[in-house]
Amino acid sequence: MVDLLSGIQSTSAALNAERTRMDVISENIANAQSTRGTDGKPYQRKVVVFETALQQALDGTGQVATLKSARIQKESRPALMVYQPGHPHADARGFVAMPNISIHEEMADFIAASRTFEANLAIVRNAKAMALQTLAIGKK
Amino acid sequence: MSPLPAISHTLPAQGLLPRPEIVSPERMPFRTPGVDGPTIIGQPNEVAPGQAPSESFGNLLGRMVAEVNAKQNVAADAVHALQSGGNVSLHQAVIAMEEASISFQLMVEVRNKLLESYQELMRMQV
Repeated sequence: MVDLLSGIQSTSAALNAERTRMDVISENIANAQSTRGTDGKPYQRKVVVFETALQQALDGTGQVATLKSARIQKESRPALMVYQPGHPHADARGFVAMPNISIHEEMADFIAASRTFEANLAIVRNAKAMALQTLAIGKK
Repeated sequence: MSPLPAISHTLPAQGLLPRPEIVSPERMPFRTPGVDGPTIIGQPNEVAPGQAPSESFGNLLGRMVAEVNAKQNVAADAVHALQSGGNVSLHQAVIAMEEASISFQLMVEVRNKLLESYQELMRMQV
């Protein structure tokens, strides 16, 4: 059967991608003070890189660009050295390597991600409304 | 967590039945897999019993009913997987439910049209 909700494939992929982005942002915020990770180093900020992928239409007539979810990359930002001599992870000079995460930056990213999610949801809602209105043609 | 699986089964059905009085007689054959389409819609098939090859139209309708049924099953599976912690996200389940609902409504519209033309024929003066 033809897809009744047009363009829903790429929207669904975009919703997935935004969800991944929100997961990564919440991980960054949660680990903003983590001075030791599993590898023994301070937490490194992660960023999400979005990629598009071409999706072959079933009948082969056209190609639809789908947003494919994203790779998660570690950002190579140097750690922030904070002077805290009493900290258990302080080095010989009393400096602690903190993850270089700004909460404000993460919150701005989070707002952007949530607005993009909302925009994609609006597309879903409109596609559904269009399909229902089209079905209402036959009604008296 | 115990009442949730029961909810997950009722959810798609509730979303799909905007007019229960129309749909309820046909719902039972829908839920059972493996029922062929033409027997479900036996009454509308009497609309065109004449020389036209009703076989192909019946097959068409049967295939459509089977596809609607498949969409319903996909939606039910998605909701079930979501409730039981499977690898399905919330929007995927909701979109599957919406697709199932819209295809069901399309099928109901087709059935209404068939019944309407049948009744129109029955009202015809001879």
